[in-house]
Amino acid sequence: MISDIAKNLVKLKKEFVKVYDGNSQIQEFIPKSTSELFPIVESHLDLLHEFATTNPIYYNSFEKKIGSVDCIVYEGDINKYWLNSIQHGSSKAPFSPTWIMSGYIGAMFAKELGYSEVIDIGSGDGRIAYCAKVLGMESYSLEIDDLLVELQHLLISTLNFHPHCTDAVAFDYSSLNLSRPIFFIGGLAQMGGTFLATGVLEKINSISNLKQNSGWVFAGTLSQKYVTDPKNEAGWGTLIEKNNLKSIQNISLPAAWTFHESDDVQYIFAKSN
Amino acid sequence: MTSSEDISQMFDSESKKLQNFIDTANSKTDMNIHEIVATYYQVMNVSSMATMLKQQADSEPSSLLSQIRETEKMISEKFDSIIHPKFLAKISSAIQEMTKNLQFENSGEKSKEQIESNAKLFEELRQTMSTKEFVEQYENGISHD
Repeated sequence: MISDIAKNLVKLKKEFVKVYDGNSQIQEFIPKSTSELFPIVESHLDLLHEFATTNPIYYNSFEKKIGSVDCIVYEGDINKYWLNSIQHGSSKAPFSPTWIMSGYIGAMFAKELGYSEVIDIGSGDGRIAYCAKVLGMESYSLEIDDLLVELQHLLISTLNFHPHCTDAVAFDYSSLNLSRPIFFIGGLAQMGGTFLATGVLEKINSISNLKQNSGWVFAGTLSQKYVTDPKNEAGWGTLIEKNNLKSIQNISLPAAWTFHESDDVQYIFAKSN
Repeated sequence: MTSSEDISQMFDSESKKLQNFIDTANSKTDMNIHEIVATYYQVMNVSSMATMLKQQADSEPSSLLSQIRETEKMISEKFDSIIHPKFLAKISSAIQEMTKNLQFENSGEKSKEQIESNAKLFEELRQTMSTKEFVEQYENGISHD
């Protein structure tokens, strides 16, 4: 069922691209209410809308019927955060969010796979950690960019997804007392993601029991614009093999940067072999 | 098959185009990013031709080899030593100026129209930064020659 929702989102995104005539830097939609294509708990949808309406990166919203689905379109701008990241050099990959709906669907998969804690690494505005919290999971958001963490603090009044301003590679994960965590690694393999993932994997593997109990979600791309990994997995194959992980699920979901792309982000779910 | 004369004519024509680019770069103070990039492409185009033709030196007429040396001298003395550092300084300064302006523009509340208008300036900054990376790659190439 979750994979159907994911496919429906990708399909509807294609419709949205055809009908969107605005000029915003980033844009996405959230269905207004539960439907056959998006059988999502109404209260969860309300919380997703709340995340968008309280998030200052979005400056405009309007109702629009996309395909057969009544949606709210959110228009936003993340240039300010990009400018901050290039000036301070704090972040290895500039902030480019996944869609809120994609974060929610990703968290749904994580929950279905039996994980109880989501750790959003390189979390941007913390949307994946927020979505995990919407689904009743515990979540933690790790972000190195202080301006983005400042933004996250504006978004935790309804659901606290525990923002941490920290370098995820140096963070002490034992302080979180994790039991069945899943780590979402922000950043494509080809955009510094493997460096980040390698550092976090080393930290987690050094904590007893966590290596076997942890899940991993890597964001990849099949786009020809990027160098392909000889072991595939949307750029993550070599890292997966080297760390003795196995890929258990692969879903395609839209992100801000894939709006004009034919291929969306490939989320590779993996666990210890 | 292309004759030696054809090759000479082609090299001569591309060298003349490069000479024009260099003259423009020397005389024009407000070259835009597209003109700057086009100049680099022509330098690289002619340099590649020169490298390839020198590898076949035995079969090329001496007049062509002499022309290649002249053109390489022009690239080294006029472009690499004078124009390229000037371009790099100009691009770096433009990035600084744009960044400063955008920081200033970013303070305070803005309308939808202002945000979307500023987004175009951010796009321009990103393009200029990409151009700087491209120009720096050229510099790396020179330093490894």
